[in-house]
Amino acid sequence: MALTEKHESTSHAEQLYQAQLRRDRIFRANVGVSWAVLFLILIFLFSGQKFELGDFTFKTISLNTSFIVKNLWFIAQGLGQTLLISSLSILFAMTLALFAALGRLSAFPPFYAVSTFYVSLIRGTPLYLQIFFFFLALPQLGIVLSGLVSGVLALGLNYGAYMSETFRAGLSSVGKGQREAAMALGMTPGQTMRRVVLPQALRFAIPPMGNDFISMTKDSALVSATGFVHELMWRAVKVGRAQFNNLEALIIAAIFYWMMTLILTYIQGKIETHLAKGDR
Amino acid sequence: MPPIVKITNLDKYFGRLHVLKSVSLDVPERQVVCLIGRSGSGKSTLLRCINFLEEPSRGIIEVGGIQVDAEDKSKERRQLVHNVRLTTGMVFQEFNLFPHMTVLENVIEGPVTVKGMERSQAIELARQNLENVGMLFKADEYPLRLSGGQKQRVAIARALTMQPRVMLFDEPTSALDPELIGEVLSVMKKVAYEGMTMIVVTHEMGFAREVADRVVVMSEGKLIEDAAPEELFSHPKDPRTQALIDRYRSEGA
Ligand SMILES: Nc1ncnc2c1ncn2[C@@H]1O[C@H](COP(=O)(O)OP(=O)(O)OP(=O)(O)O)[C@@H](O)[C@H]1O
Ligand SMILES: [Mg+2]
Repeated sequence: MALTEKHESTSHAEQLYQAQLRRDRIFRANVGVSWAVLFLILIFLFSGQKFELGDFTFKTISLNTSFIVKNLWFIAQGLGQTLLISSLSILFAMTLALFAALGRLSAFPPFYAVSTFYVSLIRGTPLYLQIFFFFLALPQLGIVLSGLVSGVLALGLNYGAYMSETFRAGLSSVGKGQREAAMALGMTPGQTMRRVVLPQALRFAIPPMGNDFISMTKDSALVSATGFVHELMWRAVKVGRAQFNNLEALIIAAIFYWMMTLILTYIQGKIETHLAKGDR
Repeated sequence: MPPIVKITNLDKYFGRLHVLKSVSLDVPERQVVCLIGRSGSGKSTLLRCINFLEEPSRGIIEVGGIQVDAEDKSKERRQLVHNVRLTTGMVFQEFNLFPHMTVLENVIEGPVTVKGMERSQAIELARQNLENVGMLFKADEYPLRLSGGQKQRVAIARALTMQPRVMLFDEPTSALDPELIGEVLSVMKKVAYEGMTMIVVTHEMGFAREVADRVVVMSEGKLIEDAAPEELFSHPKDPRTQALIDRYRSEGA
């Protein structure tokens, strides 16, 4: 009697589990279909079709396809610049963020002060202003930097301030016991940092840093405003304005940004699952 | 022969809290000393002052002939503290294995990074010590995959691979499920019988009785009694020691 009961209850649990899996599958399928429909609607809106419903004529937006064909390559060439400036900026930002985070956790007043001062100044002013500062204000002082360098400095400084918080959380996530174990083995503070604390803190910080990189690729569009960096946005605005086809130009740029984000998000997801199934 | 650990008039304050009150303790080489006392009596603090995980406020600590004055402010002191840490190995209640390294990497980390030992030589030594604690079969696992008892055995191997002359244990079995305590205690017993000098903070009275040469009782920052285990457990002199033993008995230890 007891045996059959047990048997029944397992198969019941199994049934519930299968039902849950089925519901999840159905949900995902529905979301997929809905995305496809939304996508088709979007395409339809820009398809340039004409409809007559009784007395009314409906027209969807029509795009200048010859403009698109002619200028697609010109805009696409901005992708490289966008990725280059984002990558250099994120590397610079990571370095700054690490030092800012170490300063924030430092017991040495000047380090702590420099770190908090930097973060406060950057967070207290708009990114747009910071970018113009490097492109327009510095030349007034006789400091003329190339577009790429100015862009990397501005974006890097800005993101570094925000990312320092991520790094600080990463460093604090490493328990006191880890440092004590390293010290008891005779490690110097530098060895403890390099061998024990940083590897664990970085692992903690990688997923949020991925998010930062993805939003950096889009914020990098702001440097186009200065006219000196020929990335995606700058190119789109340039050809769009010149030929009064801003709509087409911006749509092309938008598609590029969106695709880039989708690809980077996918890669980030892969990295995260890899980290998750690893050793921790 | 001079004692390998010599603590003289050690004081420790945490802010206004006077945690160690002029503590003196000599431990001869190869002796196993169990340190017992109520929670908050200062056992961990005393142990952690020996390898300077806590900075003592006043007094002198001498380990393996290296003498460090708590109030010494000189530049050479840092080197002395480093040498003391090389002479001592420590095992923590919470294991504190490095989670981003495999068992083997954990064990060779000290010799390679701190002592600059050849990697192959460190691996050989590490494997011997892992074998000794019965953990060689998990050499390539990450700590996350180990039971608490296994982690602690690896932590002991990690400390031993630095070839210390004194081992410090701070409640090495207190974080373990009861069924895992035995495997760690038997490894510790083995280390003791191989001649290691050990200072062990513990609530395991069976271990103290069987393995310790001496049991030292701590109360409110002072050492109140110091005797061989059979003597101390059967004829405690201090009523506080009696109370402590009664408490352990009633907890079934
Ligand atoms: N870092 C610290 N800062 C302030 N007070 C501390 C610190 N570490 C320990 N103390 C205090 O010092 C006293 C002694 O602590 P200690 O950890 O040495 O006791 P213990 O005998 O090891 O106790 P337990 O059996 O609970 O581990 C306690 O009152 C504790 O609260
Ligand atoms: Mg303690």
